[in-house]
Amino acid sequence: MNDKKTAAVILTVSLFLCLAGCAAGENKKSTDAREEVAVPMILTVDPSAGTKNEEEVVKAFNQAYEGAYHIDVEWIMETEEEYRKNLKRMNVTGGLPAVITDLRMLPSYYQMMVQEKRIEDLSPYIYEDREWLESIEPAVLEACSESDGSIYLAPLSTAAFSCSGVFWNEELFRQAGIQEFPKTWEDFWNCCEKLKAHGIAPLALHTKGTAWAPMLFATAELSAFPEGAEFMKQLFPESYDNFCGLQLAATLKLLFTYTTEDAMHVDFDVAFDNFVSGRAAMISNGYWMIDQIPDELEGNVRFSVFPGNRLISSPETFGWAVVSDYEEEVKKGAIKFLKFRTLFNQKEKAAFWAEEAVGKNQMMKDYIEAYDGKPQIVPNYQVKWNSVLQEETLGECLPRLVNGEMSVEEFIRMLDESIRQYEDEL
Amino acid sequence: MTKGKISGIQKKYLSYTLALLILALFLSSIGVWFYMRSSMISVIVDKYEFMNEKMGISMDILYDKSDEVTAECIIDDNVQKSLRARGLDGVEKNVLRKYFAYIDLSNISQYCYVDNKENVYTKSYSQVSYEDFTKSGFADLLSGEYSKTEWIWTKDTLFGTGKEALFVGRYVRSMDYAHKPGMIFLKMDEGFLGSLVKEAGDQSGEVAVGIVDENGEFCMEEYPQGFYMTKAARERITELAKSSRSGVILNRERVPGGILQVYRQKESGMLIFTLVPNTVLYNGLDQILLVLAGIYLLVIILAVGVSLYISRIFTKPIQKISSAMESFDGKDFSHKIELHTNTELDKIGHSYNEMLGNIEQLLVEIKNQERELRTSELNMLISQINPHFLYNTLDTIYMLARFNGEETTMKMIQALSRYLRLSLSKGRDIVTVGDELENVKSYMQIQQIRNEDLFRYEIHCEVKAGERQILKLILQPLVENAIKYGFCDILEGGFIRIEVKEISDRLTVSVFNNGTPMSRKVADKLNALGGIPVPEMKQYFPDKQHGYGVVNIITRLRLKYGEDVRFEYETGEEGTRCVIQLPKNGEEKNE
Repeated sequence: MNDKKTAAVILTVSLFLCLAGCAAGENKKSTDAREEVAVPMILTVDPSAGTKNEEEVVKAFNQAYEGAYHIDVEWIMETEEEYRKNLKRMNVTGGLPAVITDLRMLPSYYQMMVQEKRIEDLSPYIYEDREWLESIEPAVLEACSESDGSIYLAPLSTAAFSCSGVFWNEELFRQAGIQEFPKTWEDFWNCCEKLKAHGIAPLALHTKGTAWAPMLFATAELSAFPEGAEFMKQLFPESYDNFCGLQLAATLKLLFTYTTEDAMHVDFDVAFDNFVSGRAAMISNGYWMIDQIPDELEGNVRFSVFPGNRLISSPETFGWAVVSDYEEEVKKGAIKFLKFRTLFNQKEKAAFWAEEAVGKNQMMKDYIEAYDGKPQIVPNYQVKWNSVLQEETLGECLPRLVNGEMSVEEFIRMLDESIRQYEDEL
Repeated sequence: MTKGKISGIQKKYLSYTLALLILALFLSSIGVWFYMRSSMISVIVDKYEFMNEKMGISMDILYDKSDEVTAECIIDDNVQKSLRARGLDGVEKNVLRKYFAYIDLSNISQYCYVDNKENVYTKSYSQVSYEDFTKSGFADLLSGEYSKTEWIWTKDTLFGTGKEALFVGRYVRSMDYAHKPGMIFLKMDEGFLGSLVKEAGDQSGEVAVGIVDENGEFCMEEYPQGFYMTKAARERITELAKSSRSGVILNRERVPGGILQVYRQKESGMLIFTLVPNTVLYNGLDQILLVLAGIYLLVIILAVGVSLYISRIFTKPIQKISSAMESFDGKDFSHKIELHTNTELDKIGHSYNEMLGNIEQLLVEIKNQERELRTSELNMLISQINPHFLYNTLDTIYMLARFNGEETTMKMIQALSRYLRLSLSKGRDIVTVGDELENVKSYMQIQQIRNEDLFRYEIHCEVKAGERQILKLILQPLVENAIKYGFCDILEGGFIRIEVKEISDRLTVSVFNNGTPMSRKVADKLNALGGIPVPEMKQYFPDKQHGYGVVNIITRLRLKYGEDVRFEYETGEEGTRCVIQLPKNGEEKNE
């Protein structure tokens, strides 16, 4: 009897241990199954301000999806231009992160990524997700959609946060005896003259990259003309050998007469430095630069529409996309992040527009006033013009034009040459 | 027993000890063998496991290096330009051709870059045309992965050697436009993969090391002298090539011929394996076993020596006892054993000595008894020489007394004659109760003549006196004692009463006298005689002056009837009574 009891106890204990072992195995499996999926991403740290771009949204997402997904960001200290070049390199050598940004600012690269199916079509996910779809502004959705209805660039921003205008230093303006930002281009040039007369460089400009800062001024000025406004709406213009081309070249040449001495052959970061250090009175850029203005300068910096009440905006310029190389689970996490970013932006906008959230920040007040002042929206040249022009021709020819080494006609011929080169590459 | 020769208990003790020791050593050697074997194998395999992993990690590094240098090629301005619509001019092509010669990767024996315009860039002497490239089949070698560096083990149809070699291949894509990609192939010489084994150092010389591609093709094999890779081991490695896992994918697996470790390089899918041959695994074991055997032999020798020493501590006194016992002849009691072992053996020796003493004492007693018996028999013979002569003489005296009218003399002679006749009883021990009573009656009559008016007597018999039997001469000594001690203080008025009864199926005889009562002390001492062994009873009254008669009676009763005899003196103010109870009806016990 005792033997039987002992055997029963041993069997029970063995069974329990076996089951416990199995259960432990099951637990391990289930734990493994719930393992957090890392979604790799590269984001930049602003070289001037040292702030981590998009850090807030990344943190919010990681907190919201803790245990399921994690945006694994590699923070890199490089300019936007360098970042974009790296995207190209990584595409051909491997190592692209799961979520990439700025894609739309590289038109040919974007086209290539679409053609070679390197990025995911987000339209099925967006149209199947009512919450996501409803959170997207129609104008943004339209801008991000291809002609066949596919969506490669996440329509995650709001048009309200994609506008570019002019940041100006109120103190320097005051030193030159200027009380407000000019409302016409004529006043703008006069303003530049006054500033220059007072020994202040009116404009912070650069020539490298896609010559972003001078091109914003130049295209905004161009759109003041009816032909120019139409020209800016064209996708991949067939020629610059027209009034618009001439006007653009002339404006660029004129702009550089009001800039700092170090504006040649440098990128935007130098121009930004010149502005925030008080060496230049104006710089053109988008809403996102508000966060990058150093605290000590915040009280002096104002934001205004371009003369003629114009803002430059293409909501798709943010160009966030999901790379196809990754496993489904990672891509799923990346897509969730894009949706989260869209909703996050909407909330940000709502908070931003609420007066109490704006607080005493003058630049934000200026931005809201500018956006609500029914400005004329001029499309961003970066999403409309060919890559060769942006990435090669402007960088090579603009300094020569400014320095007088190249005539306006020759400059226009080079712009047209870029069109032919681009067509050749297609 | 011969001195020095092992036998008896010692032999058995040694045999069992040796057997037990050998069994223990045998079992422990099995345990030690298995433990040492597993430990040794574990240590050896650990070493090569680490080596294999190290080679695997080196392979990872080598792959990363190949990936890095090909990536540098891809993003090179001229390479990118070669993919653009306009392509390169002649000078740029020459520059590009030379550029590949300076790729920062060792062991490149040949290179071939083909752009998307059918231009082929190789070493100047290679003379590979686009047609050659197409015919070689290399255009279809790359798996189609967008930008992955691939390691391909294939026959060299590109540079015409026809021998199998490792090629590092990769698509070269435009960074800006969706152009047809170019392809780059770097042919690696044997030193490329060989460097992995070299890095492992001298250790690799003892084991089989090899590299297998993802299709199971053996790219490199380096085996120690005399080693033969079994078919089963080869098949197992080939099977592992299909694995999708990476890193250490197999550890310490026993395959025919040895123990196998395999590392899979993730990106290339190549395996690097190490097979530790059995000869290496068991090499050190022989020496260990030899040492072990030596130790065991030493242990056995020591154990035998110690066993001999210890066993002698015990067997020596046993032998001493045995020898003393064997040499005892029954006469010489002087051979005592002296043992001082502080064990139970000392008690055995002491007991033996005591036994010898007891035997000696017993023999003395037996001799004394024999002597007494002989004396008794002699006396009896003497007394039986001529009883008729004694009776005739007594009859003659009786006749003379009658003639002379001497009545008292006549009565006395008659009583004496009856007494003697009954005392002799023709040599028999057992007589009838009647004869015994008659005998004591004759004795009392003689005593009455001798001591006139001293006492009177009564005999009261309730049993059939002619049938019931009793040991003779029991009552006479009791009566004699009664007269001698009981009536010693009186001159007349004494009374003796003899009763014979049947009580509880036991013949009970009592002799009462009304004389001076026996002291309680004497009575107790006499009553204690029943519990004393017969041989010791004589020593109970060493002076032989007192108690001799009683001792005689009790001795004879116990010898005749055994221990079931009751003999007791009862003493009181009225006198002294001696009670004797015999078993059954007083017949002799035939034991």
